[in-house]
Amino acid sequence: MKCPLFKMALAGAICLSGSLLAAPGGGVAIIANNSVPLDTISAAALKDIYIGKTTYWPDGQSVVIAVLADPTRETDLELRNVSGMDASHFETFWERMVFSGRGKLPKSASDISALVALVSTTKGAIAFVPADTRLKDVKQLGNF
Amino acid sequence: MKLKLNRPCHCLPLLGLLAVLCGSRIEAFDLKFFGTNGPPMEFHGFASQGFLYSSRYNYLGDSSSGSFKFTEAGLSASLNPFPRTRIAAQAFTYDVGPAGDYDVVLDYALLEYKVADYLGFRGGRIRRPEGIYNDIQDVDLARTSILLPQGMYDARWRDFYVSIDGGELFGTFSLDRAGSLSYELYYGLQRPQLDGGLALQKANLPPFVPLTSFNSPQMGGGQLWWNTPLNGLRAGVALNYDQDLTFVNDQGRQSVGSPLTQHYSLEYLWHGWTLQAEYLRFRINYENTGGGKPLSQKLIDPDTWYAGAAYRFNKWIEMGGYYSEYYADASNRGGAGLAFPSDASQKDAAISLRFDATRWWLFKVEAHYIRGTAQLFNNVANPARDGEGWWLFGVKSTISF
Repeated sequence: MKCPLFKMALAGAICLSGSLLAAPGGGVAIIANNSVPLDTISAAALKDIYIGKTTYWPDGQSVVIAVLADPTRETDLELRNVSGMDASHFETFWERMVFSGRGKLPKSASDISALVALVSTTKGAIAFVPADTRLKDVKQLGNF
Repeated sequence: MKLKLNRPCHCLPLLGLLAVLCGSRIEAFDLKFFGTNGPPMEFHGFASQGFLYSSRYNYLGDSSSGSFKFTEAGLSASLNPFPRTRIAAQAFTYDVGPAGDYDVVLDYALLEYKVADYLGFRGGRIRRPEGIYNDIQDVDLARTSILLPQGMYDARWRDFYVSIDGGELFGTFSLDRAGSLSYELYYGLQRPQLDGGLALQKANLPPFVPLTSFNSPQMGGGQLWWNTPLNGLRAGVALNYDQDLTFVNDQGRQSVGSPLTQHYSLEYLWHGWTLQAEYLRFRINYENTGGGKPLSQKLIDPDTWYAGAAYRFNKWIEMGGYYSEYYADASNRGGAGLAFPSDASQKDAAISLRFDATRWWLFKVEAHYIRGTAQLFNNVANPARDGEGWWLFGVKSTISF
C-alpha cells in the first residue's frame, strides 16, 4: 500500500467501525441463562441470534432473546450495533416471524434488573445489558 | 381445515377472547401444560378492525357507502417439545368485502426441525414465502400501511395464496464478506375456496357466472434472499409454479391452467427508514373446455410493481407511502379492445400514518388516489367505469399480544 491517502482512509474506516461497535457509556455485557452451553460468544454469532438465523444452542435448546420492553435511545443504539436493526425494525422483524409461523417473539422486561432476572429464570435466554450492570444468577458471555 | 360459519357473529367469541386478553394482558403469555419442568407453550394474537370509504366504485366491499367489512384476527400457539424441534399453529378469521365471511381457518399448523442454521424442515400447513409480505400480508401490526399494494398482495386472495399444505426446506448460508443467503423451498397443495377472492375474480370474468368447483392444485416454488454486506439491504427473488389449477363454472365450463409466477424484491432498512420496491409477473394459459370439447385458450399475463418508503419518527408515529401499478395484461397496458379500457390497469398512490398508542394497540389512517379499475373484481357493483381518478380512505385499529 503505497498511497498515503489510502492508508489514512483505511485507518479512518477502522476507527469508525470500532466506534460504531462501542455503545455510549462503556459498552454492553452479553448475559445468558446458566443453561446455555457456551462460555463466550462472538459478535458475529450474537448477530446471527438476533436476526433469527441461529435459533438453537449447540445442545438443541431453544434460544430465547430477552429485551427491554421500552427501549431507550442508548438501548436502540446498542441493539443496532448487535443486530444491525433499530428497535422498531427489530420488533417488526420478530412480529413477522411469529405470525408467519417461523419463530418466537423475544421476551421483554420492564427495566434492566427485571431483564437480568428474566434471563436468570428462562432457559436458553440471552440478552445484552450495560457493562456496569450488577449481575446475579446469569453467566456473562462477553463484553462489546 | 375450515370451520364454515355463515354468520358474522360466530367470529365474536374469538374476537372477544382476544379483546379480553389484550385488555387484561399487555404481554404474551406462556402456559405450562406439561408440568413445571415441561416446555412452556407460548400464545400470541392480534385483532384488527378497519373501515374503508371510496369516492367512486365499490372496492374491497361496498366501500362507496363506507364498509366495516375489513376484519382480521389470529391466535397462535407454539412450543419446543424436543431439542431443535418446534410445533406451532395459528387460527385465523377474516372478512374483506365479499371474501372471508369470518370463516375460522387453520392458518398454519406445522412441525419444524432444524438441523443447523443452513438446513431445517417444516411440514404441515405452512405460510408460503413470496416477496416481502406474502406470508404476513394479513398481519396489520407488521407494516406501516393499512392496504399493501393490492396488485401484488390482494387482501381477497388469502384463501388461495397465503398457505399451502405440504413442506419446505429452509436455512441461511453465510457468504463471508458477501453477506448471507437465505432460502425456502416448498411444495404442497393450495386450498382455494369457492367463497374466496380468486373465485370471485374468476366469476367477474367472461362468461360472468359463479364457479361450482375448484381443485387443490399442487404448487412448488422457492424464495431466495441475498442479505448483502451492507447492513439492512437485501434483495430477493421468488418463483413458483401451480400444476393444473382447475375450476368449473355453473355452465359446466372447465378451465385449466398452470400459473408461473416470478417475484423480485428489494428492501433497505436504514435507521428509521424502510425502503422497498417489488415487481411481480405471472402467466397462466388457460385451456377452456365445455362438454368435454375444447372451447378456447386464454392467456392471462398480468404484472405489477410498487416502490415505497416509510419513516419512524419515534416510538409512537410512523409515516409511509407507496406508488404502485397493476396491469391486467402486460402486453396490452392501454386496454385496447376492452369494453372499459380502465379495466386494463390500476395505479395507486398511497400515504399512511401509523400511531402506536401502546405496545399492544395501534391505529392507522390512510389515503389512496387511484386511477384505473383493473382490480375492482365486481362489475355488477361497478357497472360504469372510466379512467377518472378516485379516492379510497381507510382507518384501522389493531390490538395484539
